[in-house]
Amino acid sequence: MTVRVATDVGGTFTDLVYIDEGNVKAVKSDTTPPNFEQGVVNAAIKADIDLSDVDFFAHGSTVVINAITERKGVKTGLITTKGFRDVLEIARGNTPDIFNNTYQKPNPFVERHLRLEIEERLDYKGNVVTPINLEHLPELVAYFKSQQVEAIGVCFLHAYLNPEHEIKLVAALKNLWPEINVISSHEISAEWREYERTSTTVLSAYVLPPAQQYLDKLKKKLLANGLKTDPFIMQSNGGIATLKSARDNPITLVESGPVGGILGAAAYGEVIGDGNIMALDIGGTTAKCSLIHHGETRITTEYVLEKTAKKAGYPIKTPVIDIVEIGNGGGSIAWIDAANSLHVGPQSAGSTPGPVAYGRGGSAPTTTDANLITGRINSENFAGGEIQPDLNAVEAAFKTLADQLNVNAMDVAHGVLNIANSNMVNALKLISVNRGYDPRDFSLMAFGGGGALHATALGKELNARKVIIPPFAGVFSAWGMLMIDLRRDYIQTHRFTLTDKSKNAVISAFEHVIEKAGLDYKNDGIEQSKVKHEMYVDARYSGQEHTVKIHVPSTELEEIEFIGELSERFHQTHHQEYTFRLDGSAIEIVNIHLVSFGLLDKAKLEKLPASATESADEALIGKRTVDFDSDTLVTAAIYNREKLQPGMKFKGPAIIEESTTTTVVLPENRVEIDDFGGIHIYLRD
Amino acid sequence: MNKKVDIFTIEIIKNALVAIGEEMFLALKRSSKSPIIYESLDYGIGVTDAKGLLISQGNGIPGFIGTLDAGVQNIIAKFDRDNIYPDDVFILNDPYAGGGTHLSDVCMIRPVFFEEELVAWTANKAHWTEIGGKDPGSYSADATEIYQEGLQFPGIKVFEKGIANQALLNLIEVNVRLPEMTLGDLQACAASLKVGEQRFLSVIKKYSKDVTLTAIDKLLEHGDLMVLEKFKTLPKGVFEAEDIIDEDGMGNGPFKVKVKVTITDQAFVLDYTGSSDQAPGPINCTMGVLISAAREVFMGIVQPDAPATDGCFRRLQVICPEGTLLTAKRPAPVSAYFESMVCAADVVRKALAPVLPGVVTAGQFGSVCTMNLSGQIPETGEHYLLVEPLVGGWGAAVGKDGESGQFCVGNGETSNIPVEITEARYGVMVEQYAFSNNTAGAGEFRGGNGVVLDYRILSDDADISSFFGRGITNPWGINEGEEGSCNYVQVFDDQGHEKTRFSRTSRYPLKKGDLIRLVTGNGGGWGNPNKRPKAKVLADIKNGFISERDAQSIYGI
Repeated sequence: MTVRVATDVGGTFTDLVYIDEGNVKAVKSDTTPPNFEQGVVNAAIKADIDLSDVDFFAHGSTVVINAITERKGVKTGLITTKGFRDVLEIARGNTPDIFNNTYQKPNPFVERHLRLEIEERLDYKGNVVTPINLEHLPELVAYFKSQQVEAIGVCFLHAYLNPEHEIKLVAALKNLWPEINVISSHEISAEWREYERTSTTVLSAYVLPPAQQYLDKLKKKLLANGLKTDPFIMQSNGGIATLKSARDNPITLVESGPVGGILGAAAYGEVIGDGNIMALDIGGTTAKCSLIHHGETRITTEYVLEKTAKKAGYPIKTPVIDIVEIGNGGGSIAWIDAANSLHVGPQSAGSTPGPVAYGRGGSAPTTTDANLITGRINSENFAGGEIQPDLNAVEAAFKTLADQLNVNAMDVAHGVLNIANSNMVNALKLISVNRGYDPRDFSLMAFGGGGALHATALGKELNARKVIIPPFAGVFSAWGMLMIDLRRDYIQTHRFTLTDKSKNAVISAFEHVIEKAGLDYKNDGIEQSKVKHEMYVDARYSGQEHTVKIHVPSTELEEIEFIGELSERFHQTHHQEYTFRLDGSAIEIVNIHLVSFGLLDKAKLEKLPASATESADEALIGKRTVDFDSDTLVTAAIYNREKLQPGMKFKGPAIIEESTTTTVVLPENRVEIDDFGGIHIYLRD
Repeated sequence: MNKKVDIFTIEIIKNALVAIGEEMFLALKRSSKSPIIYESLDYGIGVTDAKGLLISQGNGIPGFIGTLDAGVQNIIAKFDRDNIYPDDVFILNDPYAGGGTHLSDVCMIRPVFFEEELVAWTANKAHWTEIGGKDPGSYSADATEIYQEGLQFPGIKVFEKGIANQALLNLIEVNVRLPEMTLGDLQACAASLKVGEQRFLSVIKKYSKDVTLTAIDKLLEHGDLMVLEKFKTLPKGVFEAEDIIDEDGMGNGPFKVKVKVTITDQAFVLDYTGSSDQAPGPINCTMGVLISAAREVFMGIVQPDAPATDGCFRRLQVICPEGTLLTAKRPAPVSAYFESMVCAADVVRKALAPVLPGVVTAGQFGSVCTMNLSGQIPETGEHYLLVEPLVGGWGAAVGKDGESGQFCVGNGETSNIPVEITEARYGVMVEQYAFSNNTAGAGEFRGGNGVVLDYRILSDDADISSFFGRGITNPWGINEGEEGSCNYVQVFDDQGHEKTRFSRTSRYPLKKGDLIRLVTGNGGGWGNPNKRPKAKVLADIKNGFISERDAQSIYGI
């Protein structure tokens, strides 16, 4: 008996997906704050899974990001190089809200009196200029204790090149105060820029105790319920980690929720042989998207939490899948400004009061209301049939806006959908066109509660190759977690200029991290033969600051071909992303980036039985009038997704209903069901 | 086109046009070779319509908000339409004509054609690290005429029909100190203009020319309507203030900057008549810059909740006779123009602060506080030039203390250069980057703190030029709030003895082992210090911003 399970704890629901003998099943259970692990066990019970049969258990949670955004971490202290304790509060000194005379900088997570200094100094090459002086450390400890500090971050200048002083300090600190939680910058990030590294270290320390407590509680609870192995934990970089390594550095979990779905898209793409995907996740308040090219997701360390057009936010230099997020989801509110312009979002009605249709007191129409009044969402089966929508109230809400604009209510509903779609198209362009990728080479894969409602309109607008609505689109993050490997990213600032003779310099730059990766996986209990490395460099034209990421070519190549290929990949990528190349300019390597996978025995997905005929009539459950914003109302066929089988084909206009989402098929679209139940929508007949 | 398509499609096109500025902004940031562009974000970029009216702008710095459209209008006036072709790129930095600020800020402009019709322009303006002239970094604290300040581009083609003007590039190459960086930036700037052009054309192709042009008109009209709506909430009347620029780097001064602000239901008028004549030293700015300063402060006060377009500025009028230090004439030196620009914006806030509490703050440290440090990297002997503006303290407002360690109001997205990067690139070691322990700017709401930044010089034959304003006159407090403090530079020898202290200087020689200490001022306070809640004073004591003794003498606690 081998059962593989993945669980994803969201704000409202805890999703569980499992594979048993190749068959995938999913359940949703309520999230149970503050004892989230209870909801996880409840979901397992609901799915009728005996945890003692489970040999792989993956888990994603928002515990880290919630601790930060709700300011529920612990009282944190910081130790810096002498003379630099204010770096955290000065930050970069910038004012994103450029005209605002009363702009307020983000408050630092560590107050000034808890930022203490130690005498030590390295130079920019990592050489010791002033040896570390620990004479005053006992006084620092006494002060932190008197202030009830529960965690300490340590960040010294240039520690990304030489961690010696940080290691010494942490050891001395642990010696004086064994029970304190402490983390130092080199353990989290090996890149330059002291403010960003300090910010990352401080936030890591801030969430260390709550994240560790949560992981410990989870482990204990699952153990008590029969699980024989440690759960694996979903990370922001698109891989999973062992519980132990997640526990040591929990900031790597910061975006573990949203990335699950992106990985699901990459994994489903692999299953069906499609490597180029624009992944789109539309939820209640936001839409998130990310690009997958040749099966690879894009990793960044330029993640900034709480950054907006008007706020600088808090940098976290941990590897995170590059996601563009905008304030447009099902609950986004439509409103009219003083000059009579219609806008959608970023304010959201949330789940309370929610859309007008919920009848919980919401009076401002939302995107969901617009989908309902145009007939795209079935009013008979709204919110899984749990709510009888108040259509009169919805119409009245649109009428209020319509009167101001001197049009009719349905016009406004279409306007809301079109504006919401155009906002999402702009976000999708940011991940594709703006980086030099042509959407015609990509499939748009949509999931989340709202993805399938909007995907065909967006795909049409972008000229995407096709739209794919994967199976389990409503629990896609958890589904994705079943399909991935352990992953570690090692990014190390290591500068040198590329010459004809640099092959050894490139290869030797990776030696140390490859060795470290091997050791880290060994500690995880992963055999050497199961560890796979991919080498990348972040490079730039000499003198530039920002870099592009390049896959290092095969080290088997002769030096001249190796350097030639590496250089050419760099020039091409630079040209693709920034529209120009400077062949005469020297190339500088700035970071080396090793991606190490610990390969797991993954669940094998079984193909579903094919339909006897191409006709999808068996899944047809009715017809209804849908307003597709054309000159006339259209009668659309309504299909039940559960009854759609591989090989079935049909044409739009149609609506496909399932319990967690609704797929809109436009009149000119053509639909095919793939071997695993995914819906492929070709946008032009 | 039926009516229902009309209004919502227009909204969508408006959003798409506004997004272009942001995209161009990111493209340039990522491909530039100069830290002042990619770290300090000292540039602005955008799109105008065929007539040169601003449609969309991505801003690092609000101070460029009035310069792109003026630059385009300058080119339109200068060139016959028949001599403007697709794939042309114009280059311009003439401060006395539209689009110029000082010579280091170079404007590049590209016409956008659709089916052989000129439909729009894309333009950017960026601070190039080097443009020649008598001093490294191309600004001089002691220049007396513009000819000392670098190469002037009077609005000429650097590309024609896509072909580079090689003669011009060669000329630039031999006239600047860091040609690779300068020419690299030229390429990056040109490329980002193309990004804007592609995006604009994709909008036109999708929605048709007529609909797009209608959307542009609506976008501009929207800005005006939003401004008029906000005018309803502004205090009406005439408000006046004066401020001082201490000196011009040549020992002349003080200079007066005076404004009369008139706000009615329909107009916002800034009249700077009565400000001092242009200065012999390089602190002058020109009319185009003054308009930018006016637009910046106008957007901050009116807050129209609309993207900054030409439409937002229809109600703004700027009056100032020619020949003042705000409207200098050729060949007045202008390399430190930002001093008079910042002052011109601040004096409007000073005039309006009493009637707009909570919107406008007390006086800020009030200077870009930039310095040019030049020398050799010890290991390689390679020449370096560190150009860096500094953070300081902002003024307090009703309801909030001033911000500490922030770039001067009006410096936008300018960001500091990380210490780890400074040390890797330049021949210095940073020994301290911390809030100053100055207690100036006390008040019920206190001014923000300035900073102390210490550089140890690692090689002989280095020198520093500094452009610190407010070296004598403190930033103002309001409503019994106390004054903030001044900005200055100290130089110590390797034994720690102070050698000199100044705010503005030109090429002061430095030796290996010298320490330069850059100190920026605190912002002014708002309200009587005795009204400051005890808990806040105690927190300031705990955080080391004020000693117990000073807390007692200043705050009575």
